Amino acid sequence: MHAAASLLATAWPRYVLGLGVMLALVLGHLQLDGDLGLAEQWRLITGSQPSGFDQVRFYYTALPRALLAIMVGAVLGTVGSLLQQVTRNPLVSPLTVGASSGAWLALVGASVWLPALATDERALVAMVGAMLSVGLVLAIAGRNGIGGLPVILAGMATHLLMGAAASAIILLNQEAAQGVFIWGAGNLTQNDWNWVQWLWPRLLVLPLMLALAPRPLTLMRLGEAGARGRGFSYGPVLVMLLIGALWILASSITAVGIIGFLGLIAPNIARSMGARRAGDELAYSALLGAVLLLATDSLAQAAGDWFGELVPSGTAAAMVGAPALVIFAHRKLSHGDQTALALPQGARRTTWLTWTVAGSLLLGLVALTLTYTPGAMEPLSGFPFAWPSELIWSLRAPRLLTASAAGVGMAVAGLILQRLIRNPLASPDILGMSAGATLALVVFTVWTGTSIYHAGPGVAFLGSLVVLVVLLIVGRRSHYAPGIVILVGISLAALMEALVHFVLAQGTQSAHIILGWLSGSTYRASADRALMLAAGVAGLVMLVVVFNRWLTLISIGDPMARARGVNVARARLVLLLVVCALCALVTALMGPVAFVGLLAPHVAALLGARRVLPQLVLAAMVGMGLMTLSDWLGRTLLYPDQLPAGLMAALIGGSYFIFLLTRRRLG
Amino acid sequence: MDPKLKQCLTLVLGVCLTVTAHAEVSVTDSRGEQRFESVPERVVALNWSMAENLVELGIEPVGVADVAGYRKWVAQPELPESVVNVGKRSEPNMERIADLEPDVIVLSTDQAGLADKMSQVAPVLFFDAFRKDHSNAEKAREIFLEMGRLFEREDRAQHQLDMLEARFIWLRGRIRDHFGDELPEVTSVGFASPTVVRVFGRNAMPWYALRQLGLESAMPQPASQWGQTQREVADLNQLNQEDVLLYFKPTVLAGDLLEKPLWNALPVVEAGRVAPVDTSWVYGGAMSLRYLAENMTDALLTIEP
Repeated sequence: MHAAASLLATAWPRYVLGLGVMLALVLGHLQLDGDLGLAEQWRLITGSQPSGFDQVRFYYTALPRALLAIMVGAVLGTVGSLLQQVTRNPLVSPLTVGASSGAWLALVGASVWLPALATDERALVAMVGAMLSVGLVLAIAGRNGIGGLPVILAGMATHLLMGAAASAIILLNQEAAQGVFIWGAGNLTQNDWNWVQWLWPRLLVLPLMLALAPRPLTLMRLGEAGARGRGFSYGPVLVMLLIGALWILASSITAVGIIGFLGLIAPNIARSMGARRAGDELAYSALLGAVLLLATDSLAQAAGDWFGELVPSGTAAAMVGAPALVIFAHRKLSHGDQTALALPQGARRTTWLTWTVAGSLLLGLVALTLTYTPGAMEPLSGFPFAWPSELIWSLRAPRLLTASAAGVGMAVAGLILQRLIRNPLASPDILGMSAGATLALVVFTVWTGTSIYHAGPGVAFLGSLVVLVVLLIVGRRSHYAPGIVILVGISLAALMEALVHFVLAQGTQSAHIILGWLSGSTYRASADRALMLAAGVAGLVMLVVVFNRWLTLISIGDPMARARGVNVARARLVLLLVVCALCALVTALMGPVAFVGLLAPHVAALLGARRVLPQLVLAAMVGMGLMTLSDWLGRTLLYPDQLPAGLMAALIGGSYFIFLLTRRRLG
Repeated sequence: MDPKLKQCLTLVLGVCLTVTAHAEVSVTDSRGEQRFESVPERVVALNWSMAENLVELGIEPVGVADVAGYRKWVAQPELPESVVNVGKRSEPNMERIADLEPDVIVLSTDQAGLADKMSQVAPVLFFDAFRKDHSNAEKAREIFLEMGRLFEREDRAQHQLDMLEARFIWLRGRIRDHFGDELPEVTSVGFASPTVVRVFGRNAMPWYALRQLGLESAMPQPASQWGQTQREVADLNQLNQEDVLLYFKPTVLAGDLLEKPLWNALPVVEAGRVAPVDTSWVYGGAMSLRYLAENMTDALLTIEP
């Protein structure tokens, strides 16, 4: 009680300010459509029966929408703050621990296979999806990883994996999945009170959480030993709190769809405004969440009126949130998290056996890809292997070459990043360089209305370059602390997803084309483009081979490199530019490829390739093998339907990565 | 007759027939003039509206992309039982297409990038049917005629287009009989979610069909590639009580919107000037205009004049 009183004494101006802003925003929000006078609005709020369309519109759309914005915003803020306090990690949010992608995957699946689900069942499906996904992330990160980088990386990996699975379902069921697109983009539009009435009883947990959470959270800050000293074990309480948080989060997601960023930003702003104590931060984050969602939703509505076309709130939130997050990170989080994560150690060194086996496996895969005819799997068609005819060769060879070159390119890019940043979990997809290229291509397409296949590598390179510049500016001060670098990646990935959802939500026949491209397909590879990609990758890899001494020295440490006469700053820049060029090349000529850059160097190390050059060669072989296998599986598994190689790689690589991370924890 | 002579005559006759059958045809697709040495017989269509055109011309395609999807979402006209599925529209399976040994592969909107690849397998026709900078419906007629030319069924194609025109006139007459000289302005929509509608505006096939029925748009939208704009349901208040609002079935995506106060308070709904239209594929070819016009007329005739 004393704490609450003293809190009230110091914090009340902040709360008055927050509530005042919220009230102003609600008032503004209510004026966005319809032209009822304030007096008339007040009569409707106080119970007068609506009559005439303007009154009905105010009563059934404007009012519930504003209320829902407040409710959902408060949920996002609270859950974000709770997660950040529990993990003691300012980068955690519903988005980064995989809750939204789990819900998204579950609902996409449900809308295709169980289209007749009622609202409550849908909420349950979303909730189970969110819980499984968050559970997975927490399990991977483990007790020690929860406070730092591992949980973010695990979240990102899970996010990519779930996203890939959802895309696969959509690609195979284009028309049936239409129903979830608008929901996926996060849309607050209402046409009655149903969602408000559905949601509010579920949010009764929220005040309870606000009341119960501060004590265990405060004790947790003292550390486990300190808490036990006071005769209190906070473990079970925290688990209950987390389940409660996921419950209200899943309910909100079911009601309005995916709205990212707010849960991440609100607690950070709350802390920077002085809300330091556990309860204060929770409550103030809730208030700020409501304020932020009201503001972004007003923006979405205004933009929709301006364009004469629906702009989902989730899109607006991402447009505002992503840059805000990067700027915020730049100012607040210097020298943040330097946690590195050790993955399982494998063989000590490579033997001739390693190379022979790897080489023959690779050759076998190439032969399989070229000679196997999937149609022959159907009854009575005979032996499925045949030397390809000229035609079949001309169909398969460019795909093989594209997949191989992309695999090599991403593997090498990943290896450079892991050595430069000295973190085994760095990779172009997680640091946002691929996302930058992708985002540039998607924006280009949406903006110019041309096909995404016509945007060239130049646009993609520009995108990667912008990301690199942002990384250099943001990262320089923190010496490229992985936390910040990864934050840029997360922001970009989420921004890109919001844009993609926006395009999907327009529901035209073109939507699946962008989605197909986003999944990284070798399908459209022509001989010319395949050769261009292969030549480009080969050239860049040669460059890395020439500069391999830099990599060796920098991965030992900057002082060591400097002592040996390396201009570290310049070496870093050159190597990062090479990474950028590799990402741009692969992304423009094939599409985004996830996980290969992360896993290939790591598998190479597991096999015993510890020095730069052997690791480079082995990683390239692994990357090539993984992509070739993915392309082959995507082409043959569901014959005659096909799944893009990038998507298969994400599914295979993501699963393997999660397996690795779990083993790390147990071992 | 001397068996040798008979053999010889048969041969000559055969050659003559072959020569007539191998008459050269040339058609113009979105990339320019395409020549075929003979009338193609085995046709693969990788786009649903192109498959529709083939069936309307009396050609049975040997392969179509996403056959199950076509049967579910396009439905009319029916595809033959024998047609082979060649994979999804975004990435049709080239090896299976090659197995079918087609004489021509027909591509449409969003498949421009496939033309070069596909021409490794067989000659390709690419018709860019849906574009912002042309009239989709006029283009659909041209495409239909070109395809008729390809299969030497130009007369049939022209006849069907004339029939379409006649159908429009007849339907227009029915609408005039029903409404009198003062025709209402009409807008058609599809439901995208319980809160969002797709308004079919300039350059959408339903919009064009309405125009052919002599009906002006009640809620004009700027032209776009597919002619549809997404709006909140409440924005339909732009329609006034004299207008007519048509919505396409199925209404699954709308949930229970149709029973809600907001929907029923829309001026056009309150005035009872709203009607459902039977399921019709709104991204189809020239002949789909007929189904659209017929289904929309049926809906319009349920509205009190």
